[in-house]
Amino acid sequence: MSDSMNKKLKAVFRGIKTATGKDGRLSVSTPPENARDVLRSLKDEGYTHLALISCVDWIDKQKFELIYILSSYFENEHIILRTSIPRENAKFTSIIDTFENAEPYEREIHELFGIDFEGHPRQIPLFLERNYEIPPFRKDFDTRAYVKQLFDEIPFVEEDR
Amino acid sequence: MRELELFFGPQHLGMVGNFSITLKVEGDRIIEATANPGYLHRGFEKLMEYRTWIQNFPLVCRINVVEPDHMEMVYAMAVEKLANIEVPERAQYVRSIYLELARVGSHLFGLWAYANMLGFDTVAQWAMYHRDLILDLFEELTGGRVYHIYIWPGGVRRDFPKGFEDKIVTTLHTIGGCVPDYDETFFNNRLFYERAKNIGTISQDEAVRLGGVGQVLRATGAKSDIRKIEPYAAYSKVDFEVPIRKDGDAYSRVWVIRDEMIESVHMIFKLLDNLPTGEVYNRIPNPFKWTIPPGDAYVRVESSRGELGLYLVSDGGDKPYRVHFRTPSYTHGLVILEKLLKNASIADVGNIMISLYVVAPEIDR
Repeated sequence: MSDSMNKKLKAVFRGIKTATGKDGRLSVSTPPENARDVLRSLKDEGYTHLALISCVDWIDKQKFELIYILSSYFENEHIILRTSIPRENAKFTSIIDTFENAEPYEREIHELFGIDFEGHPRQIPLFLERNYEIPPFRKDFDTRAYVKQLFDEIPFVEEDR
Repeated sequence: MRELELFFGPQHLGMVGNFSITLKVEGDRIIEATANPGYLHRGFEKLMEYRTWIQNFPLVCRINVVEPDHMEMVYAMAVEKLANIEVPERAQYVRSIYLELARVGSHLFGLWAYANMLGFDTVAQWAMYHRDLILDLFEELTGGRVYHIYIWPGGVRRDFPKGFEDKIVTTLHTIGGCVPDYDETFFNNRLFYERAKNIGTISQDEAVRLGGVGQVLRATGAKSDIRKIEPYAAYSKVDFEVPIRKDGDAYSRVWVIRDEMIESVHMIFKLLDNLPTGEVYNRIPNPFKWTIPPGDAYVRVESSRGELGLYLVSDGGDKPYRVHFRTPSYTHGLVILEKLLKNASIADVGNIMISLYVVAPEIDR
């Protein structure tokens, strides 16, 4: 399935790059403007299960990489779709109309990485109770400084020594 | 009738774990439900970015309190995949036996929660007692009752102690001997049928559309199990059935859990019969200086709640660059629960939630 899928994707979409890993898994990189259409066509091809939406903060390249992992419920197939968006004013389109279970994943990424998903019905806080200047899962969020500011009177172990 | 807002949990008798649901009710009927997680958000995925590959094991197993073993497994598998580590054959079998024991223990815990919620206190106490017998086995094998940190990149931490196989068999016979009692008092009980039949029904199409996995999907008649689809450990070498039910309601889900426990016990016996001899551990590089080549991997296992996945990224350093767990309770508790609670009665909230097998720490991570 993944071989024919590879050819089909390359024929239909412009700017798509594919690679096959050592384990035979297909990994697809697409420009952000195509990502929604690629996801929709993958769903039609039988990758009906959205397992995960993840986000990686590549701070050196000033990019966020969004990862969509799709799989089939009954066959040994899964595919990794990647797309990179700029780190400044990070914005992406929501895919809830294609995969309904994307809702909490996008909400979580909005909260922890500060990416705005256009078309998401409720981007309200999921886990956190405070407001942060920098969303806490970004790489430039200084956990040490945050802890120090929050629990100032408790000394660090190494400072005590 | 007047609409009211009702806060269900985190302190509520019908609620397991630190999780809450905000219900909009009209009389006894729920108009809208909003799942409200976050009471257990410890930021493990961020913390793991600051610890070395080996230091992360104690954190990983704390993500799911009820069954830490599959968490260790999925993390070890991802590290092995990124670092190209082979696992000896005996270790594969030992891992499978250990994971199936964990599945039985976790299902017994689930049965405790469900029976307790329905008021079957006796059955709940039995289930808790039998889970404790399995924890005794874990204690002898690993030194810890709840968190074991037994699976390790390259194998398992140590081999079975002398006579341990016999102890597994004896313990499982003790538990298996009580299955008729469980059936008589609980599973074939009319009260259980009346209380669980047609509660929280979900069709197969809807379960697939909303990302259901594990019992939620198998209770709708779909034979989807990662141990069969993408075998890991020793599951490709052992013959087993994937139990299913057709109706997709709470009754079916609890029956699937029962059948899975029995299937797991049979599987452990088969694995013990074919247990090969040899090493259980391949040496890994010095953990203090261990760097893993850049790359990313997605691995998945069938935990006792469904598909458990891990997306792990390495940038070539001695720590992970990004860790993201895909836990089965995430979609069950945040998407499917909200759908199923619509138009349900307040009395059924606990029933639906526990039959979906939602574990709160797994959602928050």
